[in-house]
Amino acid sequence: MKQAMQRPRIGRFLLVILLLAVVMLPLTRAQAQDLVQFEKRMTEFMLGNGLKFLVLERHEAPVVSFHTYADVGSVDEVKGITGLAHLFEHMAFKGTKTIGTKNYQAEAKAMAKMDELFDAIKAEKRKGDKADPEKLKKLQEQFEQAGQEAQKHLVPDEYDDVLMQHGAQGYNAGTTEDATHYYVSMPSNKLELWMILEADRFANPVLREFYKERDVVMEERRMMENNPRGRLWEEFEALAYRAHPYGEPIIGHMSDVATVTRREAEAFFRQYYRPSNLTIAVVGDVDPQQIKKLAEKYFAGIPGGPKPEPVETEEPPQRGERRVTVEDTAQPQIRIGYHQPSVNHPDSTVLQVISEIIGRGRTSRLYKSLVKEKRIAVSVDTWPGWDKYPGLFMFNAVPSRDHTNQQCEQAIYTEIERLKIEPASSKELDKAKTRMRADLIREFDSNSGLAAELTFYEVITGDWRNLFRQLDKIEKVTADDIQRVAKEYFISKNRTVGVIETVQAAK
Amino acid sequence: MRSHRASVIKDLVCFALLLSLLASSCSQKYAADYKQLKYPKLGQIEIPQVKRVTLANGMQLFLLEDHELPLINMSAMVRTGSIYEPADKIGLAAITGTVMRTGGTTSKTGDQIDEQLEQIAATVETEIGLNSGSASMSVLKEDINTGLSVLADVLMNPAFAEDKIQLAKIAHRSSIARRNDFPFSIAFREYSKLIYGPESVYARHAEYATIDNITRDDLVAFHKRFFHPNNTMMAVWGDFDTEQMIKKTEEAFKDWQKADVGLAPVPEVKYEFRPTVNVIRKDDMNQSCIFLGHIGGMMNDPDYFALLVMNEILGGSFSRLYKNVRSRQGLAYEVFGVYAADYDHPGEFYVGCQTKLSSTVHAINAMLDEVRKMTQEEATDEELVVAKGAYLNSFVFNFESHGQIVDRLMTYVYYGYPEDFLQKTRENVEKVTKADVLRVARKHLQPDKMQILAVGRRQDFDEPLSVFGQVREIDITIPTPQK
Repeated sequence: MKQAMQRPRIGRFLLVILLLAVVMLPLTRAQAQDLVQFEKRMTEFMLGNGLKFLVLERHEAPVVSFHTYADVGSVDEVKGITGLAHLFEHMAFKGTKTIGTKNYQAEAKAMAKMDELFDAIKAEKRKGDKADPEKLKKLQEQFEQAGQEAQKHLVPDEYDDVLMQHGAQGYNAGTTEDATHYYVSMPSNKLELWMILEADRFANPVLREFYKERDVVMEERRMMENNPRGRLWEEFEALAYRAHPYGEPIIGHMSDVATVTRREAEAFFRQYYRPSNLTIAVVGDVDPQQIKKLAEKYFAGIPGGPKPEPVETEEPPQRGERRVTVEDTAQPQIRIGYHQPSVNHPDSTVLQVISEIIGRGRTSRLYKSLVKEKRIAVSVDTWPGWDKYPGLFMFNAVPSRDHTNQQCEQAIYTEIERLKIEPASSKELDKAKTRMRADLIREFDSNSGLAAELTFYEVITGDWRNLFRQLDKIEKVTADDIQRVAKEYFISKNRTVGVIETVQAAK
Repeated sequence: MRSHRASVIKDLVCFALLLSLLASSCSQKYAADYKQLKYPKLGQIEIPQVKRVTLANGMQLFLLEDHELPLINMSAMVRTGSIYEPADKIGLAAITGTVMRTGGTTSKTGDQIDEQLEQIAATVETEIGLNSGSASMSVLKEDINTGLSVLADVLMNPAFAEDKIQLAKIAHRSSIARRNDFPFSIAFREYSKLIYGPESVYARHAEYATIDNITRDDLVAFHKRFFHPNNTMMAVWGDFDTEQMIKKTEEAFKDWQKADVGLAPVPEVKYEFRPTVNVIRKDDMNQSCIFLGHIGGMMNDPDYFALLVMNEILGGSFSRLYKNVRSRQGLAYEVFGVYAADYDHPGEFYVGCQTKLSSTVHAINAMLDEVRKMTQEEATDEELVVAKGAYLNSFVFNFESHGQIVDRLMTYVYYGYPEDFLQKTRENVEKVTKADVLRVARKHLQPDKMQILAVGRRQDFDEPLSVFGQVREIDITIPTPQK
């Protein structure tokens, strides 16, 4: 259920929303007017402790979607605690001091005992060959006993059961490099229930069953390792970044996950889950005044604190192409990435339009060349990234049977070179813009989608209104911009290439 | 979490105040007991009325206006499916479904249609699945004439251009080559073959040879056999006027002639309950992927409603399997279980998970225990409340979009279910008792006759699979192409 998303999906919604105004109204007056229309249904407020709420009224059905955006992801981790943002996301379903327990005091005592024993086991194991197996065995038994003692006080999965029983839909969470998302939709008469549970989740989380949930995450990691796409992804990211933490796996290295302690997870929570680092969107059949009242009642008491520092490490310019070959039992595939600026950089908009033209749909340049004409691939796509810090613009291709990664790679480069020398036609530009407009309309009836977009814009660009203001930028993208940007970023020196090549499994 | 110490005491004060209904603005860190909440009545759900019309040529329309957004959508169901393709041409139905759209029509090439649609951000797609074919269209409302004419054209006059047939075959051959790359899809595919039999229309799959056997003539004949207006239902929803839309649709399909289709009923499933143990060797894995179970049921079984509740308790989102195999034991990230019921043929019952190799047998036992327990004792009151609440309280989400409403109605009619089947389901789920859940579990689950399948490095399992019985190894080597 709870999972590390492989990549932020939010970005897709974002483009869609941007273009709302274009569809609804003649372009020239679109932005201002539509923003006004939209603002009428929007209410925003900040609690004294820094927690921001965005409320959008949509009364089509008696339902409401909630999206809590925590401005913390795997990018905020350091070596040794990789995977902690994601692990904490799992722990946030485990309940609180009053939810999920019959006797918190007694439970806390048993959990502290487990922590102590876990430390002792780690210390003994660290001795390597000199570790005392008898001692380890005994510690392990004591650890199990303490676990059983803690379990006696559980009200198992109370937090989840309450929400499900009251009609929760799409109840889940996800961690990306940049953020941790908690989301659920409820019948609108269950608003106050969500308020109580969500406030308590971030006011009084109890990281119970920590070591069992850690085992669950280790299984989650193995699932990724047993998926060829996951294996390629991990190698690729690690190679593309030599300084920036985007190169670390969201789910963490196995050895870090195996040794992380509950204390470290609690410290991480205290640092990154301050109200000033949380933004909550509520979209649906609600009364904003009621939301405000309940937010004050349940969330305002969470102690405030300064917003955590952003990541200061910058990825230095690359000095030459980097390549990795994953030797695998799976069939070939290829991934090519170019370093690109963050989503807030002006060129990001141009790169989004490039992605539309070159990588989307049956009439895109890459599909026409690789799939329809050359028949060397069964699929090819691009991903313009939507990253808080400078990230990667990605090309992916899956060769057809009897064709190779090398053929696909060459054909992709041919199309990239075309971008630099041949201006995009006005037909292509129009098509890209029209489709982005229509996407928006098609996504517009989703409460949960809107909630995600609003938080993304608010946190990453500083104002949810940018979802309209950016409209200008997209409309202004020209054929010249496309050539200039392609020449600047899509160069071999700035490139990482990862492939899977097929070998037989070792017996 | 030292900072919370003080708050515990304050919290108790606040808590007491709440209970005595004195605290209206108790701004606390954590306070309220959700158990004390009284919920307002949920706003009325207005279920819009779908307009049904049968055109002169026999095509049935289901229309629903929705003026929220300037869009129009259509979605057709055609009675066909891969269950009707010959065993030596598996893949014929799927390729026909693909090339109807990509291969263009008698008046336009597929590439021309691609350009025309993408320029106006419209989509028209066709597909043929197991027991139905589908065609869909989505356009901005001002483009309805273009969208509708393309949709009608691909349904009525597909050209089946040879180059696009080749393209579809390349895609199929490539997916055959890749079908053993993902452990979960191996397990899923091979488990179906254990349940229905490898030759069954419900489990069989394409090979290089069956793809090679398919010709353009086969596609033309397959299309001609099934694609007739009296064999087609069409749902339409969006920003239009119903009467005008009926006229438009009638006009677009006026040249489509009725024909006698005379389809045989879908093949029956004969299942013999038996325990089996099966392993698929995949040496590059550090997890095993496990499926256990037997045949499932049909939605027209009167036990269906109690089985829904049983499913929720056994394998739902936060079910016993989730709680006991995942949360309490930490054995898996993904654990699942469902007694699946289909409209027109029995589904599969399966539970499963992916777990580290060294806990494979342990996890199988843990899952078998949960199935057995379902048949041995009644669920608790709490479990029943949560399971029924999860269904009944989320019922409103069945009416979030107009497309959902009209599509569901068409699907019920297609499979011969009552139009109010959803409402009936709700009424019946409300009545389900603990005794019902135990009764249907005993009747439909056979924990002693489960088929077990594990994919992984068997040499690294915690115990040999033979503890469950004689082990059969399934060879998943892909038969090489003839040429």
